[in-house]
Amino acid sequence: MKLTDIIATANHNLFRSKTRSILTIVAIFIGSFTIIMSNAINSGVNDYIDKQVESAGGDGYLEMMPTAIAENAMSAISGNGAVEYKENSVSAADQPYITDEQLAKARTIDGLESIDALHTASVDYIASTQTDKKYKLFNLNLVPRGDIHFDLSAGRKPDPESSAYEIALTEDFVSILGFKDNEDSIGKTITLAVPNTIDCYTAATHSECQRLVDATVVGVQAPGVLASGGPRANIALFEKVYDLASDGMSKETKNRAYQATAQVDPKRVEEIKAKLKEIGLTAMTIDDQVGMIRTFFDAILVVFNIFGGIALLAAAIGIINTLFMSVQERTREIGLMKAVGMGSGKIFLSFSTEAILLGFWGSVLGIAVSMLIGYGLNALAHATFLAELPTFNIVIFEPANMLVIILIIMIIAFIAGTAPALRAAKKNPIDALRYE
Amino acid sequence: MNTVIEAKNLTKTYGKKATAFTALKDINLKIYEGESVAIVGKSGSGKSTLMHLLALLDTPTKGTVLVDGKDSTKLSTRDLNKLRNERFGFVFQQFFMNTKDTVLENVLLPLKIARKSRKERKVLANSALKIVDLDSKARNKATDLSGGQKQRVCIARAIVNNPKIIFADEPTGNLDSATGDKITDLLFDLNENQGVTLIIVTHDEDLAKLCNRIIRISDGKIISDQTVRKDSKAKASARHEAEAARVKKANEKKGGRK
Repeated sequence: MKLTDIIATANHNLFRSKTRSILTIVAIFIGSFTIIMSNAINSGVNDYIDKQVESAGGDGYLEMMPTAIAENAMSAISGNGAVEYKENSVSAADQPYITDEQLAKARTIDGLESIDALHTASVDYIASTQTDKKYKLFNLNLVPRGDIHFDLSAGRKPDPESSAYEIALTEDFVSILGFKDNEDSIGKTITLAVPNTIDCYTAATHSECQRLVDATVVGVQAPGVLASGGPRANIALFEKVYDLASDGMSKETKNRAYQATAQVDPKRVEEIKAKLKEIGLTAMTIDDQVGMIRTFFDAILVVFNIFGGIALLAAAIGIINTLFMSVQERTREIGLMKAVGMGSGKIFLSFSTEAILLGFWGSVLGIAVSMLIGYGLNALAHATFLAELPTFNIVIFEPANMLVIILIIMIIAFIAGTAPALRAAKKNPIDALRYE
Repeated sequence: MNTVIEAKNLTKTYGKKATAFTALKDINLKIYEGESVAIVGKSGSGKSTLMHLLALLDTPTKGTVLVDGKDSTKLSTRDLNKLRNERFGFVFQQFFMNTKDTVLENVLLPLKIARKSRKERKVLANSALKIVDLDSKARNKATDLSGGQKQRVCIARAIVNNPKIIFADEPTGNLDSATGDKITDLLFDLNENQGVTLIIVTHDEDLAKLCNRIIRISDGKIISDQTVRKDSKAKASARHEAEAARVKKANEKKGGRK
């Protein structure tokens, strides 16, 4: 018998007992659907993260904070805050801020191109000449040096090297500040109100200690994870805000930074991170920052794959059962086929093929239904809660992944089919023909 | 006349030492090309066992079967399968059809096993169905056929690969006499006009009488082997009669010795 004939015949034989085969296929489908769906969702999430990270560019962009603060944050997350205090254990590296000494040391690291201490100050409100209303600005972010890229709906990225005060709004600020649309806001001036720390100790009302700075809107950020931080200023504006807030402080206090950004050789990121650690700075790439989300979704994937695996195990027993019944029913047929010259190997192969086909149809059904539901879910999401994130697909079906899943399920089905197929192959033609 | 099958000292024992049962005892037999041979005996006489051994469906405990002078015990399983597929056709009392398949599918099964192309399969199966006058039913499901039609389909399946020998095990056993006659007509027509050697296992004396040679079996031994009809192949028959007599004598001698 030719292989194509074996496959065609096996498929034909499967659907001779329709109900039984279809029920077995449904059992496999349940397992394959679970695995395929969770893989597709994981692909979707990872793809979204990748897109964000990639669109951010920033190969070699590092954000760092003093290790003391990083550890503090970690212990707060892990709940393990009991660290023994030792005399003289506090060194410069344990300072909760970045010292000039650390910055100087960092600049000597081979491969580190630039490092900027980040002096942050709060902003009270943002306002424009288009409207009388003022809006709270909880967070003003920075456009760091380097090739870091932001998705923009309009305009351009604020120039980190420019001495003019430039800002990129987020879309939600465009309309409330009275601009007609994204394009309309470009080139317009907005005002930021910054409270001066020293003045505000003595001022009777808060508005008395506020200082104002005007900035030009040069771009509008498209919605996305990176835009969620709020409007972004170029270095000149960012520093100006800090200057306004810290005016009157001693030079030493003023110079204290709690964060820094650096641009390093992308090929030596890990090596430079290690060196920064030595001088008491914990550095993270953009990838490191989103790594946490990835780990979370990977863990979910593992759980769902275990569920799917258990379902497949049950389905495999279904395959064994189905095939044993089939072998029993077709004992005389097996006898006849052997009598007219079919070898035991081919008999084994034809029953194994039936098992493999059960697995194949089950997984194909799983993929078909997953795709139907998945694409429906994507459409639904884009129409509703993901309307602001057009680049995000909840589920993505990667052909390679699907192929691997089909193959694995077919292998499981084959293994399940070996026992019945062996029984069929071992039948003696005479006994099989005599079987009543 | 060529010997197509020769049995040499065939013995078949079932079961192990304590419960051993010898179904066939030291059978010697030659079957010539173009013969129609009836193997007759009561149930349990060993006639089916003999046919299974001659058809290479089973292996003897002792002795050997030669097909076209070749020792079958020296053939590999693969070659044995090939030999059965190409040289033998089988017709059974219980038909053994896949009733959910079409008539055509049932007939072309041996060709599928022989790795023939789809096209060739269809052509050969259709011409085999024409011989049994069922070509109009090719696309019908086998389950829709009557008993006589089913057996005709089985004959078509047996001749589809143009075999030299047809083994028929009680071919009319499940049929009424009118349909049974039609089946026997078909089988003997193949024997007389196509030169197919016919080996029929039966307990039906009327069917046996139609064959030109009757071998009677009892308790695993040949008790008689006679050519009952002499026709145009008289010369061959005479030779085989003499041979049969010799075999018979030899068997009696061995039986007597016991």
